[in-house]
Amino acid sequence: MSERPRIATDTRERRVGLWFGLLCGVTLIVCTASLLFGAGAIGPAQSLDTLLRALTGRMTDDNAWFAIESLRAPRTAIGVLVGAALAVAGALLQAVTRNPLAEPGLLGVSGGATFAVAIAIALGADAATLRVPVAQFGALAGCLAVLAASRVRGAGEDPVRLVLAGAVLSGLLYALTSLVLLFDERTADEIRFWVVGSFAGRRPADVIALLPGLGVAGLMVIGIARPLAALALGEHVASGLGHRPRLVRLLVVVAVALLVGSATAIAGPIAFIGLVAPFVARALAGPDVRATLWLCLPIGAALTLGADVVSRLVVRPSELPLGVLTALIGAPVLVAVVRSRRLPTL
Amino acid sequence: MSRANAHPAHALAPAGSWRLALGPARSGRSILLDKRACAANLLLAVALLAACVASLCLGEVSIAPRAAIAGLFGYGDGMDVFVVQQLRATRLLAGVLSGGAFALAGCLMQTLARNRLATPGIIGLDNGATAFAVASVLGVGLGIAPPAMALVGASVATAIAFGLAGGIGTQGYRFLVAGIGVGAAFDAITRLMLARSAIDAANAAYPWTVGSLNGVGALALNMLAVGLVIGLIGAAALARALGVVRFSEGVAQGLGIRVGHIRLGALVLSVGLTALAVAVAGPVGLIALIGPEVARHLSSRRGVPLMGSTLAGALLMVVADLAGRVLFSPIEIPVGLISTVVGAPVLLWILLRPGHKIGV
Repeated sequence: MSERPRIATDTRERRVGLWFGLLCGVTLIVCTASLLFGAGAIGPAQSLDTLLRALTGRMTDDNAWFAIESLRAPRTAIGVLVGAALAVAGALLQAVTRNPLAEPGLLGVSGGATFAVAIAIALGADAATLRVPVAQFGALAGCLAVLAASRVRGAGEDPVRLVLAGAVLSGLLYALTSLVLLFDERTADEIRFWVVGSFAGRRPADVIALLPGLGVAGLMVIGIARPLAALALGEHVASGLGHRPRLVRLLVVVAVALLVGSATAIAGPIAFIGLVAPFVARALAGPDVRATLWLCLPIGAALTLGADVVSRLVVRPSELPLGVLTALIGAPVLVAVVRSRRLPTL
Repeated sequence: MSRANAHPAHALAPAGSWRLALGPARSGRSILLDKRACAANLLLAVALLAACVASLCLGEVSIAPRAAIAGLFGYGDGMDVFVVQQLRATRLLAGVLSGGAFALAGCLMQTLARNRLATPGIIGLDNGATAFAVASVLGVGLGIAPPAMALVGASVATAIAFGLAGGIGTQGYRFLVAGIGVGAAFDAITRLMLARSAIDAANAAYPWTVGSLNGVGALALNMLAVGLVIGLIGAAALARALGVVRFSEGVAQGLGIRVGHIRLGALVLSVGLTALAVAVAGPVGLIALIGPEVARHLSSRRGVPLMGSTLAGALLMVVADLAGRVLFSPIEIPVGLISTVVGAPVLLWILLRPGHKIGV
């Protein structure tokens, strides 16, 4: 008799595991596509041939191998990391504000990171070394602003109002960033392409600079997943189960800042991934925040990298800013969530 | 009740307003003028005039006020005449007209949606107009002039926003967030078109995307002038009914007002004004929020401050453009950026103030 509930959770866990495996497979396929397709002259057939030759240790065509190894491989890695980071950050922020619309890009967290980097570069900081911590600091400020707004009586209880306030805050931060760019030509040249969101032209060293921040954030997420699931049942339940809601909230904010700051530092502000990926993950995994977080990893990675691959192909030989594609995917999802009559509070 | 009773010849105006008889005293035709609203409009008009003179005087070359006004009419030093007439007057006119049109459109939409935050910019109308205008500049469209395409774009964006909001009511915040989604999609389309086009075509379309009074076209300006006159006349015709529409639908219907007609009229005016203003100045949407806000603070709460909003919007636009030109000269800051930096905190304050009211 006592076995029955266990069986129920087992099937649910098995289903989530199945989805996780399936989505990881999709991510792998997208990664391969990312290595094969590009905006330049080296087509998929030639890329595939070069890749197979390289894997079997035979001589390769130098040009094609250069394109794959130095251009497309870092880009693929960035796409996976940034996508997973933004998706998890979105899921965390949504869980802690209990608002399915809380998305780091919409609420001004990415905007804070962007503004901080623009200021730092304008003040003469070296863009290559300082960008990641500065962006994380800016994201932290943005996160705290969001959390403060969500605690305002009246505004925080209405999920839609918080999003409106966040959209205004991010508009303000981007206007301020544009102002900084107007004043400083050097800054403008350095970050003009970064500010629209793109993975192009990143070096392997840039990817390695991300790993510490993402690693720490990952460990924190593993630590707070359980208390966060308890917090979803309400503050009193969480306290009753021996968790400290305040501490959990603070840790979530720091983790989100690390994730979004790292992602923004390398790829520029990319909106809507943190909305779409958790939205899909929740639809597949149900209400448990831990399952949502797991599924967010492959969904975010596949979505972002897929959008990047498409962005290379639609306007060949040039490229499309990634933010454009994510907005085109994300805006309908936003409208769909808002339209659902009974807006679920998390 | 007989007509004589309804309009007795000796009728006294309610406190705080003047009664202005039109025609013979016994004809019963009269309008009530709110004293405070009149004072506010006068104040705004004087401020607007001062801002206009300042805008003609200040810039890369400073000109004395007297010389600037003389130059406007073609007298005085040849250089002054050239600077004032050729460079500054068109720009000033564009600022006054577009600011007035944005704010009037904002006030109309706020009133019909009964929500202070429901301005055309927030529900994505500006971005829709911009996307279509950019398409026209880049030659993606059918070769129709940008202002006409902006009208089409604004109408499409409105139709989508209201269509999506159909099931969720026009009052709540959901409507606005649906509008944000529509706006984001149109913004992405604009950037997509800019990315696909050749670099010089993209440069020609760039002012549309930030909101600036640089390089205003004569056609767009003329269309805006005509549109604003029509808009003001239409708004004056709707003013009385709009004052009642602010209350609940039942009250308005009880007073014999066709709420649906009035709302549709106000919406059409609002969309048209916004589109024509975007065709001149680009998406400077926050003027539509702050203009009516200023007017509402200055004038009484009794009516809908349509005239006051128009004047306040024009004033704000002229001042923002002047500040953008003068503050950090020789760098010119687009008026769109200035209005966002000033307007966004106002918007946040309205949104997050505890115990707030968002009704108009």
